Amino acid sequence: MKLKISHEVKKTILRYGISIILTLLFGSILIAIQGESPLEAVGHIFEGAFGNRINIGNTIRWIISSLMVGGAAIVAFKSGVSNLGIEGQLYMGALSAAIIGYSIELPHGLHVMACLLAASILGMLYALIPALLRVYFKINELITTLILNFIAKYLTEYITMWIIMGGQQSANGSASITTPQILNTARLSTIIKGTTANTGIFIALGILFFIAFIYKYTLEGYEFTQIGQNMSFARMGGVNINKSFIMVFLMSGLISGMGGGIEVTGSYYRFMPNFSNNLGWDGIMITRVANNNPLAVIIVSIIWGALKQGALHMERMTTLNRLVVIIIQMLFVLFVSIDYDNLFSRWKEKIRLKKTNSKGGSSIC
Amino acid sequence: MDKEKFVLEMHNINKKFKNLLANDNITFKVRSGTVHALIGENGAGKSTLMNILTNIQSPDSGQVYLRGEQVNFKNPLDAVRHGIGMVYQEFMVFPEMTVLDNIIMGFEQKKGIFIDYKESRRKVEEICKKYEFNISIDAKVDGLPVAALQQVEIIKVLYRNADIIILDEPTSVLTPQGVESLFHAIRFLVDQGKTIILITHKLKEVLEIADDITVLKNGRVTGTLLAKDTNELELARLMVGREVILQVEKPEYNIGEIILKIENLSVKDSSRVERVKNASFHVQAGEILGISGVAGSGQTELVEALVGLSNGNIEGQILFNGENIINETVAKRRKLGIGYIAQDRSAVGTNKEGTIWENAIMGYHRTKGFKTKHLLDYKDINSFTNKIIKDYAVKVQATEDKVKTLSGGNIQKLLVGREFLQEQKLLIIEDPTRGIDIGSVEFIWNRIIQMAKEGVAVLLISHELNEVMQLSDRILVMYNGSIIEHKNSRSLTEEQIGLMMLGGEIHEA
Repeated sequence: MKLKISHEVKKTILRYGISIILTLLFGSILIAIQGESPLEAVGHIFEGAFGNRINIGNTIRWIISSLMVGGAAIVAFKSGVSNLGIEGQLYMGALSAAIIGYSIELPHGLHVMACLLAASILGMLYALIPALLRVYFKINELITTLILNFIAKYLTEYITMWIIMGGQQSANGSASITTPQILNTARLSTIIKGTTANTGIFIALGILFFIAFIYKYTLEGYEFTQIGQNMSFARMGGVNINKSFIMVFLMSGLISGMGGGIEVTGSYYRFMPNFSNNLGWDGIMITRVANNNPLAVIIVSIIWGALKQGALHMERMTTLNRLVVIIIQMLFVLFVSIDYDNLFSRWKEKIRLKKTNSKGGSSIC
Repeated sequence: MDKEKFVLEMHNINKKFKNLLANDNITFKVRSGTVHALIGENGAGKSTLMNILTNIQSPDSGQVYLRGEQVNFKNPLDAVRHGIGMVYQEFMVFPEMTVLDNIIMGFEQKKGIFIDYKESRRKVEEICKKYEFNISIDAKVDGLPVAALQQVEIIKVLYRNADIIILDEPTSVLTPQGVESLFHAIRFLVDQGKTIILITHKLKEVLEIADDITVLKNGRVTGTLLAKDTNELELARLMVGREVILQVEKPEYNIGEIILKIENLSVKDSSRVERVKNASFHVQAGEILGISGVAGSGQTELVEALVGLSNGNIEGQILFNGENIINETVAKRRKLGIGYIAQDRSAVGTNKEGTIWENAIMGYHRTKGFKTKHLLDYKDINSFTNKIIKDYAVKVQATEDKVKTLSGGNIQKLLVGREFLQEQKLLIIEDPTRGIDIGSVEFIWNRIIQMAKEGVAVLLISHELNEVMQLSDRILVMYNGSIIEHKNSRSLTEEQIGLMMLGGEIHEA
C-alpha cells in the first residue's frame, strides 16, 4: 500500500521538480540576456511582494483575484467542462456590481451583499448561454465561451459609454470610459490600511474550501469528477450528464461573476472596460498548475498574486519589463502540463527496443 | 503447397498493443500468381498483419521475405517500391481531382521539376488497356460510383508497379454485379502474373475466387488451406469456432417468469442506418440467454438500447417486468433492477483515472443510495467496496489506488462485483471475460451461473462462442442486425452456430 501511494507522490514531485528547474533555467536565461542578474530580479520580486505592509496588502489584493478565477476554472475543468468564458462572466459580474454600487442606496453590509449577489447572478446567467447551447444544440463550449467573451467585453463597454455615461465622453472631455464610483456603503472593507486588500479574501477562501468540500463529500461532486475523467463511464452509471453540465456551468459562472463583483467592490470601486487585463485566463492556468486540486489552487494563487505584485516592483527597480514574469509564468504552466512519467517510460521503451534490435538483428524495423 | 514458389513469406510475426496480442506468432506465405484469401473476424489480426507488411506498423518480432530475400522496409513508401500495393477499404482519393491526377499523385513522371503529363497519361492508358479497365481518366473523381473508385485505386497500385496487390474487404462496398466484375478483374490480374491478397470475411466469395486461404482468429493462424479442399462449414469453424480452454459445471435449476421481453425492437444509429432489425425475444428469471454473433452485427446497438445509452432512434417495446422502459433514463433502469457490464471495460466500464472506491460505487451511489441524498457516506462506501474486493477476490492494495494500477482480470472482477452485488433482477453482460487470465474467466463464469441460480435473469452477449455455449440455457444468433432463434438451440453444434453467425443457413438433418 505504501509503495503504490508513494509512486503517485513521486510522480507529483517529479513533475513539479522538473518544471521548477526548467522554469528557473529558462527564466534565468531570459533575464540574463537582457543584461540583468536573475538572482537580483528574484530578490526584487520577493521584496515587492512581501517586503513591507503595503506590499503584502497589495499582494493579498491580487491573491483574491487569483483565488476567484482559479475557483471558477477548477469547478469547470475538474468536471470536464471547458469554460473559457471566465473572462466574459467576470465582465458581466463587474458591471452589474458597479451599477448596483452607485445607483442605489442601502446600508453598508446589505449594499455590498446586493452588489455581489447581482454580480453572481449575472455571471451565472451569462454562463447559462453556453451551457444550454452545449446541452441542447451540441455546440462545443470551447467556441461559444470564447465568442461570448468578446461579446461581454464590448457589451459592457457599450453600456458604460452609451447608457451610463450617455455618450458624453467627448463632451465633458473625460478621457476614460468608466462608471461613476460606487458608494462607500458598497465597498468591501479593507483589511490593511493604505492598500486595497479587502475582506473579499475571506469570501474567496470560503469559496475554495466550499469547492473542496463539494468534490470530496457530496454525491454531486463525485459525479462531476467522474464526468470530468470519463464521461462514458458516468453515463453508464446513470449520471445525468446534461443536468450536471448545466450545474457546473452555473457554478463556474457564479464564481466568475462574483469575482468580477469583488474586483469592483474591493479594489477598483468602479467599472471600466479592460479592467481585467486577461484575469480570466489566469484562472485556467492556475487550475492547470494546481492539477485540478481545489486546495492546491490556494497555494498557486498565493504564488500568482505574489508574482503579479512583485513584478511591478521589479519593473521599477530594474530595466526588466514585468512581461518577463508573465512569460516565465507561462513557461511554468507549459512545463507542468508535460506528462514526464509517460515520457520517460516511452523513452525507456524505445531504448529497450533499439537494444534488442541491434542485438538480434531479426526484427524488420 | 510447400514445394511451390512463395513470392511473399512472413515468419513468426508478433505484435502486441498494450494488453492485446494482435499478432501471435503468425506465419503467412503467399504463392506467386495466386489469389490468397486472408479471412477472420473483425479484430482477428488481419489488418495488423497487412499494416506490418506495408510497414505502416512495425512488428515486435518476425521476418518478412520477398521473393526469397529478407526485406527491411524503412517506411510505407519503401514497401510500395518493392512492389506491394494496398487498396484500402476506405478509398483514399482526392474528390476534386481527375482520375489521372489521383492515379499519378506522388509518383508522377517528371521532366525536370515539372510533371510530364504526356508520359504519365501514356503509362496510365497503357495500364488501363492491358488490364482491361474501362474508365475515363479525365473524369473528376467526385461523383464516380464506388465500383469505379475501386478501379481507380487498383490502377493506382498497378501504376506504382505493384505485383502483390492487397485488397481490403473489396466487396463490402459493391453490388453483386460489381463483385462479379471485380472478380473478373482479379482473375485477369492473376493471369497477368500478379499476386492478390484478399482480406475478407465473406465465405462464399472466398471459396469462389481464392486459391489459398489463411484463417486468423484472435491473432493466431487457425488454418492454412487450399480453397478446393475445404467448405463453408470448415471455414466457419476455423473463424469463429470455440477453443475449449475451460469447462464449467452448470447445475439444473428452475426457470421463473419473464423478466425482460423485447418486442419488434429496431434501432437506427445517428446516421439512420438500421443496426437492429425488428428483434423480439425474452429472458426469464434464472435463465442465461446467450447472444452470439460476429463483431458488428448489431449487438452493441441492441445493448445500448436495452441499457438506455442509445443515441439513435429506437422503435418497438422493451418490457421490464411488464413495464415499457423504452424512454427511461439509465438511472431509472438501474433503479428498477437492471445491471450492466459494458464490453469495453477501459473506456466505459471503469474510470481508470479514478480510485477503486470511486469505481466501486458508480451506479450503486444512486440506486441503493446513502443515508442522505447529497452526501457521500464514506462508511457505506468502504463497506461496499470491501465487500466487492472480498467476495470477488479483487487483488488490491488500497481502495485509494487508481484503477489503472490493477490488472485486467482484477479490473473485470471489480466491475462484475459492482454490478452483481447490487441485487439486480436483470444483468446485461457484454463480453465479460475478454482478454483476461484464465483464473478470472473461471471465477466470473461461476459467478454468472450462481447469479442465475439465485433467480436473476441474465442476458449474455459475447463474441466468444465457447462462452455462450458453456453458460447459456438458450442461444440466439445475431447476424446483420437480425436475431435468429433456433427452436432447439442447445442441441446445435458449434459448426452450425458458427455458420449462422456468418449468415449461412443450417439444414435440418
